[in-house]
Amino acid sequence: MIAVVRSELYRSVSIMSSWLALIGFAFMAALFGWFSREAWSLFAGLGAFGIAVTVTAQHFQHRTMVLVYLNHPHRWRVLIAQCFSAALLGTLLAAVSGVAVLLDDNAAHYRSTVLVAPVMAVFGTLCTAVVRRPLWLIGGAFAWLLFAEGIINRMAIGLPFGSFAMASGGNTKALLYLLAWTAAAIPVALWAIHRDLSSD
Amino acid sequence: MIEIRDLTKTYGKIDAVRDVTFTAAPGRVTGLLGLNGSGKSTTLRILLGLTRPTRGAALINGRRYRELDHPVRHVGAVIEQGLSHPGQSGYARLRTQALLGGFPRERVGRLLEYVGLEDAATKRTGDYSLGMRQRLAVATALLGEPSVLVLDEPANGLDPPGMAWLRELLLAHAAGGGTVLISSHLLAELEHFVDDVVIIGRGRILASGTLAELTGTARLRVRGADMERLAKAFEHQGANVVPEGPFLFVSGLSPEEAGDIAFAAQVPVYELVAESQNLEDIFMSVSEAR
Repeated sequence: MIAVVRSELYRSVSIMSSWLALIGFAFMAALFGWFSREAWSLFAGLGAFGIAVTVTAQHFQHRTMVLVYLNHPHRWRVLIAQCFSAALLGTLLAAVSGVAVLLDDNAAHYRSTVLVAPVMAVFGTLCTAVVRRPLWLIGGAFAWLLFAEGIINRMAIGLPFGSFAMASGGNTKALLYLLAWTAAAIPVALWAIHRDLSSD
Repeated sequence: MIEIRDLTKTYGKIDAVRDVTFTAAPGRVTGLLGLNGSGKSTTLRILLGLTRPTRGAALINGRRYRELDHPVRHVGAVIEQGLSHPGQSGYARLRTQALLGGFPRERVGRLLEYVGLEDAATKRTGDYSLGMRQRLAVATALLGEPSVLVLDEPANGLDPPGMAWLRELLLAHAAGGGTVLISSHLLAELEHFVDDVVIIGRGRILASGTLAELTGTARLRVRGADMERLAKAFEHQGANVVPEGPFLFVSGLSPEEAGDIAFAAQVPVYELVAESQNLEDIFMSVSEAR
């Protein structure tokens, strides 16, 4: 499993589009951090979700997941390793993008966001194992965020992104909701990874 | 050793492969031949644990792929014409695979040199030609120094020197006791180096055997001084003789037997050619027979 994590991290830093995605998401979060710490938290969480989707979906998009499964045919182990490496990238993204918040005497908020961001990355990896196509997933997540969470639920606690936003402010109940969403995604992802990998 | 036993894969009501059975033995190059969509890739993907069979078993050294301990040390695979992220360099791609398999960094450089990509190591794989991607895929397959090589259409995109290089590599691997299973629809290319042949069509095995058995001697083309006497002499020995132009086409005799008969009949022979079938002829004949 450590081999998969090392390989995933090396792969992420050796592909420019992964770098650009990481920098882009971090820049967005940092930019919104100048306006409010809550906005930074939300965009750090979205960034963690986005970078997880980007690095995992690239495997399906370019079918390199075939090579991963040839090395490690027990797919659930690969999924755990990918969740772990996405969590590391999500943590890095949140930690780096939130320096302005940290310097603004919001250490507690910064800490809780950095601690919760990897959960969003894991959620993103699990979602990618199910949907596999990055455009469908990112487009779907955007529509979900806008309509279900923004307009209908008004970013309140209960749904994943709203729960993340609240959890990053130190709300324990919201964190439990986010963990519940992530836990609910696990069996679906475990089923989904055992689907056949389509050939070209 | 690769063993495929009664393998069936069904998608809905369509059989991608049905009751496919064959073996690929160590020390030999086995060609899995068939047209596009005949079931070759499905068979190989099941063998490599990427697709689940509906029925049957595909075994490598007696075990299913997922049961192998550190599978890439047993099996090297070239599939889907060189999988890689187009934004990653050849070196980074192979290094990623080396990390994944737990192989040392030094092996990456050595393999890039071995497959002739050392000068293109820092180039993005998206800028590679199809032949270069195939070479990179071969390098990846060789990372774990496996005893079994499984290659799906590796000849696609290779230029003649590339094809000669691949042929030498596979022959050397088999000569060293390794097992090679190679699929292709380029029958003429494979004819030069496969030992055993499995012909698949519409998901079923149409014919299998050694190349010598399948191509065999189909008939003799004979031209001599007295064609009438020669024909009678051959027919007297039970051969089937068809005169055509200046030749007799004789089946049912070996070249040695035909020569001896002509000598005994005291008819000078000017031409005696054993006409063997090529893989394409065999493929067409077994396809039409079904």
